[in-house]
Amino acid sequence: MRAMITKRGMLAGGAMALLAGGAAREARAQTRRTMILASGQDIPNFDPHVATGYSPSFALRNLYDTLVAVEGSPPKLVPQLASSWTVSPDGREYVFSLDPAAVFEDGSPVTAEAVKYSFDRLLRLNKGNVWMVAGVLDAGGVSVVDPRTVRMRLVAPFAPFLQVLPWIWVVNPKIVEANKGGDDGQSFLRNAAAGSGAFRLKRVETGNLYEFEKVAKPWRPNGGNLTGAIWKIARETSTQRLMIQQGEAHIALDLTSEDMDALKDRPGVRLVMEPDYRTFQIKMNTRHGPLADVNLRKAVSYAFDYKAMLDVAGHAVLMKGPLPEGILGFDDTLAVYRTDLDKAKEYLAKSSSPEGGVTLTMTYVSGLEQERRWGLVLLDSLSKLGIKLDIKPVLWPEFSGSTASPATTPDFFPIYETANYADPDNLAWAGFNSSRNGNWSNPTFADPKVDAVLAAARAETDQAKRVALYRQFQQLVVDDAPDIFGVLELRKLALRANVKNYVFSPVASNVIDLYPLSLA
Amino acid sequence: MAAFLARRVLLLIPVLIGLTMIVFAITRLLPGDPARLAAGPNATPAQIEEISREFGLNRPLPAQYWHYATGLLRGDFGMSIYSRRPVLTDLEAYLPATLELVVAAMLLAVGLGLPLGLLAAIYRDRWPDMLTGIVSLGAISMPRFFLGLLFQLGFAMELGWLPLSGRFPLDEDPPPHLTGFLTLDALAAGDFHALGVALQYLALPAIAMSLSPLATILRMMRAATIEVLRQDYVLTERALGLSRRVILLKYVPRNAISAALTVIGLYFGWLLGGTVLVETVFDWPGIGLYATSAVLTQDFMPIIGVTLCIGVLFVLVNLLVDVAQAALNPRIRLR
Repeated sequence: MRAMITKRGMLAGGAMALLAGGAAREARAQTRRTMILASGQDIPNFDPHVATGYSPSFALRNLYDTLVAVEGSPPKLVPQLASSWTVSPDGREYVFSLDPAAVFEDGSPVTAEAVKYSFDRLLRLNKGNVWMVAGVLDAGGVSVVDPRTVRMRLVAPFAPFLQVLPWIWVVNPKIVEANKGGDDGQSFLRNAAAGSGAFRLKRVETGNLYEFEKVAKPWRPNGGNLTGAIWKIARETSTQRLMIQQGEAHIALDLTSEDMDALKDRPGVRLVMEPDYRTFQIKMNTRHGPLADVNLRKAVSYAFDYKAMLDVAGHAVLMKGPLPEGILGFDDTLAVYRTDLDKAKEYLAKSSSPEGGVTLTMTYVSGLEQERRWGLVLLDSLSKLGIKLDIKPVLWPEFSGSTASPATTPDFFPIYETANYADPDNLAWAGFNSSRNGNWSNPTFADPKVDAVLAAARAETDQAKRVALYRQFQQLVVDDAPDIFGVLELRKLALRANVKNYVFSPVASNVIDLYPLSLA
Repeated sequence: MAAFLARRVLLLIPVLIGLTMIVFAITRLLPGDPARLAAGPNATPAQIEEISREFGLNRPLPAQYWHYATGLLRGDFGMSIYSRRPVLTDLEAYLPATLELVVAAMLLAVGLGLPLGLLAAIYRDRWPDMLTGIVSLGAISMPRFFLGLLFQLGFAMELGWLPLSGRFPLDEDPPPHLTGFLTLDALAAGDFHALGVALQYLALPAIAMSLSPLATILRMMRAATIEVLRQDYVLTERALGLSRRVILLKYVPRNAISAALTVIGLYFGWLLGGTVLVETVFDWPGIGLYATSAVLTQDFMPIIGVTLCIGVLFVLVNLLVDVAQAALNPRIRLR
């Protein structure tokens, strides 16, 4: 009897404990408003002066603040840590007044000293986003005027300077110094944060998920109702789609056209398809092999079947020249190549292979299905000129490594390029300046006239003159036909209908600012 | 026994040295430049050069290997060029998830495969044998990732019985970290709700992974049991009046299990190395996914680290199998 009572007691106790646990969980779930974002990419590093790529940028954007931020469509710069700023007439000196409300997570104010410390650390480490200010800012270029005012003196005028600032984050020097170690705090900041952002790092499960928790008192005004967010890695886009469909994720970031079609008209799902500054083009080897001949490049540009390319792309628009539509200086009136077999044959006759009869090579990144399909469109287009195409899939390391010299670069080289900041300088410089030769973004194209125009455009502070220079740049590039200008695929995001206050921005559109968002 | 164990552990040393040499050489022979990749698309040549120097990629191959091998002796598995995290830290994070999945799959395969194999042998050429034969053939022929997708569609999407992917609900706190096995951690914390949830998440990927070894173990057990049932000592046992039940449940399995045990050891290694696809389909954060992303970014150290890890586990599991065989069958002597 006694034994029975004990057993019963234990069972009852266990059941009570389970119920209590369940009730507590339920209560926690009701007060929590955690937004789940499904992405295919891991966040390998949280150091704001080391990490690059869209997934770390998402984390850093929410853990840290920058002097200015970018938002909206068309994108505009808005104050963040800096409440106001002035630019000297020669475009070389910027003075920022810091927002007195800005505080780090530990409650200490964000000072001019912290801004200087952060820029100095970025330049000292020479990693991550340092390329954005390379040759523009040097050691000693940032100085403290007073605790709330910081001055930056540029080596040379750089018109997009304010545009790169949303990607240079300010760290809390006190915390970094306390955990400096032998590597300037890199080991510490790899998996920790020392920022003033509205969120802090709560949970790190490498390769699986990263959880962010809103800080007790965010200093920025007008925040949404989120209490936290989870970056969940779902490597297959089909898994991301199913997560959105089932309500297991609130935002899916890497969906394909097929996924978007499958999600169309699903209840509770909102689809976002907007053009952003992400170009696709098939680059040609302008320095080695048959395509070093401009006439052959023009023949190829006219022979290419642009309509078939657009059909393959799904939700996309054709590019008109080297710059994406909507960006500063984009020339809508530019006459670009469209399919015209007669003109193609005319240029072929002027080329070193007037009868065709050559075999060209194209490599693409294994697994990128769109690139493979566009390769087939190219193969079909070239066959009309009697030119054969050898298409080879390779892994990304081999693909990017092959561009080290013109001799190892294939004849055709398809690439996507995403603008990191909202200025034509970014895509134009990366894709067409000869200083980028040997890099996958511009393996071979070099034209002193283009270099000169780009250098003048980045130094010009008068906007109208910059627009004129970028128009000149576009004409020069189109005349030389170094690329088959491809498509701007629409950015494809899926949101659950209860996600509120989301505003699309074409700059780094998948690097979402969580602070204004709410869950209904 | 002790001498046998010592010798086998010592044998591990040349095996691992050979393994590191081969993997080291293969990863370095791949075309491409990892420093260029790690530096990012906009890196300057100076930045790329700096990364090459930092990771010793500009040094001769034997010097690089020597540096790596001496580091290993100190427990340093190197650092990922991409994430700049120590490989050992990453392995500690990823390995428990894979081991939990593989152990669960093997428990299912062994727990069901052995008795079903015995059953099929006892009812040879009758319906239980035919049924297990057909199911085994199907399980062996079907790729694991395809089974995974079918399970997701059926049990998660249509019926809604089990979760679609992942390891634990995103909006719940997992049990406190102790072993990294969520089921064990939940048990240790006395959190039965978490245990139930972890088992639900484990179910589909574990079943998808278990079917192929289950079918093989079942067929091996069936064949071995049929062989044992023909032996004279079984006839003698019957003649001595031992009950059919005792013979079939006690004496026959002990003699028949040897072949199946060997397969279990081999399958364990095979599953460890082959979790990639199932981990990808179910978003299971294990070393398979870690290795895949390392291969795609030509990140040498994680590739070698994962290979070494699987190599060591494979050798250890096979050692355990040898010991188990000796314990089950006294005729096998470990020398």
